[in-house]
Amino acid sequence: MRVGLGWLAEFIALPDSQVELEERLTLGGLEIEGVARTGPDLDEIRVGHVLEREQHPDADRLSVCKVDLGGDEPLSIVCGAPNVAAGQKVAVATPGTILPDGTKLKKSKIRGVASMGMICSASELGLSDEHDGIMVLDAAAQVGRPIAEYVSAGQVVLDLEITPNRGDWASMLGVAREVRAQFGGSIKLPPTQPCESGSAAADLIRIEIEDNAGCHRYAGRVVHGVKVGPSPEWLVEKVEAAGMRSINIVVDITNLVLLEFGQPLHAFDLSMLTDAVIRVRSAAPGEPIETLDGVERKLEAGDLVIADAKRAIAIAGVMGGAATEVGESTTDILLESAHFAPTRIRKTARRLGLFTEASYRFERGVDHEGVVRAADRAARLLAELAGGEVATGVVEARGDPVSHCDRVEIPVAKANRMLGTELTATEMITLLERVDIDANEVRGILSCSVPSYRGDISIPVDIVEEVARVYGYDRLPTTLPSARLDSPAVPTSYTMADRVRDSLVASGLYETRSFPGISSKDWDAIRLPDDDPRRQSVRIVNPIVEENAEMRTTLVPSLLHAAQGNFARQVADVRLFEVAHVFLPTAGDALPREEQRVTALITRPQRASLWEQVDSRDLFFDAKGIAEVLLRDLNREPVFKTGTAESFLHPGASVSVVSGGQTIGTVGELHPEVAAYFEIDVPCALIDLSLHQLERISAKPSKFEAVSRQPAASRDIAVILSQDRPAGELLEAIRKTAGSALVSVGVFDRYAGKGVPEGKVSLGVRMVFQRVDRTMKDSEVSKLVDRIVSMLAHKFDGELRSGS
Amino acid sequence: MSGVVPDLESLEVEARDAIAAANSPQQLVEVRASFLGRKGSISAQLRRIGELPDAERGVFGQAVNASKARVEAWVAERKRSLERAVQDQAIASRDLDVTLPSALPPRGRLHPVTRLEREMAQFFRGLGFSIEEGPEVETEYHCFEALNIPADHPARDLQDTFFVEGGHVLRTHTSPVQIRAMTGRQPPFRFIAPGRVYRHDYDATHSPMFHQIEGFLVDESTTFGDLKGILYSFARHLMGPDVELRFRAHYFPFTEPSAEMDFRWGDRWLEWGGCGMIHPKVLENCGIDPERYQGFAFGMGIDRAAMDRFGVPNIHLLFDGDMRVLEQI
Repeated sequence: MRVGLGWLAEFIALPDSQVELEERLTLGGLEIEGVARTGPDLDEIRVGHVLEREQHPDADRLSVCKVDLGGDEPLSIVCGAPNVAAGQKVAVATPGTILPDGTKLKKSKIRGVASMGMICSASELGLSDEHDGIMVLDAAAQVGRPIAEYVSAGQVVLDLEITPNRGDWASMLGVAREVRAQFGGSIKLPPTQPCESGSAAADLIRIEIEDNAGCHRYAGRVVHGVKVGPSPEWLVEKVEAAGMRSINIVVDITNLVLLEFGQPLHAFDLSMLTDAVIRVRSAAPGEPIETLDGVERKLEAGDLVIADAKRAIAIAGVMGGAATEVGESTTDILLESAHFAPTRIRKTARRLGLFTEASYRFERGVDHEGVVRAADRAARLLAELAGGEVATGVVEARGDPVSHCDRVEIPVAKANRMLGTELTATEMITLLERVDIDANEVRGILSCSVPSYRGDISIPVDIVEEVARVYGYDRLPTTLPSARLDSPAVPTSYTMADRVRDSLVASGLYETRSFPGISSKDWDAIRLPDDDPRRQSVRIVNPIVEENAEMRTTLVPSLLHAAQGNFARQVADVRLFEVAHVFLPTAGDALPREEQRVTALITRPQRASLWEQVDSRDLFFDAKGIAEVLLRDLNREPVFKTGTAESFLHPGASVSVVSGGQTIGTVGELHPEVAAYFEIDVPCALIDLSLHQLERISAKPSKFEAVSRQPAASRDIAVILSQDRPAGELLEAIRKTAGSALVSVGVFDRYAGKGVPEGKVSLGVRMVFQRVDRTMKDSEVSKLVDRIVSMLAHKFDGELRSGS
Repeated sequence: MSGVVPDLESLEVEARDAIAAANSPQQLVEVRASFLGRKGSISAQLRRIGELPDAERGVFGQAVNASKARVEAWVAERKRSLERAVQDQAIASRDLDVTLPSALPPRGRLHPVTRLEREMAQFFRGLGFSIEEGPEVETEYHCFEALNIPADHPARDLQDTFFVEGGHVLRTHTSPVQIRAMTGRQPPFRFIAPGRVYRHDYDATHSPMFHQIEGFLVDESTTFGDLKGILYSFARHLMGPDVELRFRAHYFPFTEPSAEMDFRWGDRWLEWGGCGMIHPKVLENCGIDPERYQGFAFGMGIDRAAMDRFGVPNIHLLFDGDMRVLEQI
């Protein structure tokens, strides 16, 4: 809501300091979102002091003035106005300044004399239409200051944010009341009583409320002989300052009253009403109406309409109809001032997407006691400004009474207990008076009468809030709660997510977070089989873009899109992970099942330089290493099973991750087709794990094992074996055979080619033996190695490569 | 004796010169052998001991041994100095271009939102607040109705909601966790609930996904003053001891009295979050007697704090996985 301070001052005396006004209103809950100024922009125009005035050498009507603008040197300015004189304070525009009419001032020579600026007239500054010479400022004006400080140009307009509970603030009166709440003072209302004449309105119009739940009150006034034309300047200004368009005198008056009192009004062309009757009723299903914006609309049962004998002529509280619109030929007017049920108005406005000044206020609730006053005020203005004659009396009909809470009781102690204050009943009563709440205390209980415009107050805590608001939140004590000491509970899923993040970060990955909506196209992009349950997703009904409509059932596409984005930005070194929920549909009305997962993606950029060596190892092993370390960090045994069912991974370079006998995820290089789809042309590998499943696998806590002080013996062997024997099995078999004396076994070399038979591979295996209790003898180590070698020959058909 | 000692002395001088002249460890070994080796000239003096009268033997022996010790010491010293020279030479010959790029260890980083969230959670965990999580797809009941936001109420306009098939919503705030945590529990209790939230809003300052942290404490005599106190402490924890806060009256359907809080940023006030005393209807909806218990709740965005801290101008930069962004903040 835009509130011009000049207009507001007609309702209540404002504090001198605008800053203080803004601050106190904001602190009280009526937030200032912006401050604007109507009228011309005069920021660049400065106060100048005319030091000398001389006759222009070549022009009788021009003078050359020396003007002090507060700079080092006075400026020489040629001026054509007869009233300029030495000693005056004047408004000066310097070259570069854009005048209110849009022209940019330049340095110029006038009849051979250079002019360094312009001494402005009021009309040149857009402040007046008169052309009688330059504007002379107050002698006290300070040289060099913006003239805006000394000239009133337009008014300050505050842009207020009105919270949904305070519809009563959406008017000048409402804002004035809040000014009174914060600063005190008394409110001056504009005159409302119209001068009536002629026949009784009740003889001219009948009002019938058929939908009693939808319409609580309906007041009509009839005004004859109105001349519909443009509004006077002041009225246009007020309406426009509030951000509305001036239409004609009648519409402008209804809008003015809406702005003044917050009561929406509507003016019907009385002559267009069939049978001079107003019926407030529910719309028939499919009932048509052309609204004022020229749109043909279909109504639904439940929409509240204003109808005459034949048809709907307005959508109640939302917008009038075209058929009864006030136009230039209109002379007789029916003014409507009503009180409709907020939820009905809101439903209709929302369904039609038609949010108007009227629906905005009705939704939030208007003052049910202000209905007649607003009709009176508008009638009076129609008489004053549009030559109308106001028919005698107000025609009024009532539906169900408004559910308004008139009285609220609250113990003083309870209010204090809630705020942490020690206010007395008298202090509270004084505070409440500022917001029109009449309170008195009986035996420690405040009984408060609620003003008709405060539909938001109905329970004791509403009174507590008013006390706090007027008292000032900043004055409330600042304390710390006392509470029983207790150790905080933290869900396993939370801790798990944190540990996973820490491990992956330590492995050199960066965490990302992304919106969980993806596209159904992504299922194809990652080659999910047609019957994969992850193709069944929860759909967002109103996505921002269609590509984000499916709640993800896997994090894989999100990571691939992120990688693709990086590639598009020519960043090829991508190391990302995300910990997030996936959403799996369930039957019936139940919420989807949310499962916490982690997906990580790494690439190896192909950018060998002389300095940085490119690793030739398959990227798969980097990913597997990250997963292995992750599981160890989580105290879970890492087990990788050859082959994975995941179709987005390379079938020859992927494994399932098994822990506690359950498959909990996969690790592998990206399938080339998927890589091509996402335009990833360097090696790329993924880790995808269900943290939800991982949580259920019991952790094996880290435990100390004695470290040996004895010397270790290292032995290397090279075994030639068939290429398709997994090295993992071989290492496992060596561990088993050697027993506890083997402290580590690893592969230091893998070779196929010259010297190794076709179809075979040579594995270089390094074994380190060591005992905790004593030094191992050479013969003892050799015996173990022999046993291992014969096991390899026996079980793996492996033979030692010559020379080892 | 007089004929013997000068002989030794001259040998010693000779040895000293030869040792000093030895220019490599190998030469030094040879020089040492020529004086102190089995056939060395000083060692040979010892063999002369038998030619001496008994009375002179002791003195002579001592003199030869002392001489040997001195020469041995010179050899050792020369050896050290030769070795040092070799090492100095090696050091002098290694001259890296230290301006070549470093070999960076692989490193990663938590998302700035995660870091902020942890920092915030740490404060409250220290005060004994438990952590509670809730689903991101929520029922309308938990997201709105139970929080005193009825359907067809203008307060629904405050939050642009994503709806999903099946009649549920993406939670628009972390407040539904209040309902989930309080239902079935009796006070006193205190919780925080950090997490992702969603609103149907997309522009330079709004992302459809962002993050909030919710906190609430319910007991018999918890006051609005306590709320202010906790939030002041929290603000000091996050923003330093000199932080200035202000509390403005505001409206939230689920708290009353309600406030918005701002912190001072230069000469401006920046919005920090919303808070208030939990609305009696909300307590009632969770089966808690509002006549007996009262408490406060607050919620604030995490993303804005992260953006302010790292100077990120556009919220979307936080969420599109751009490595260039993630590597610097």
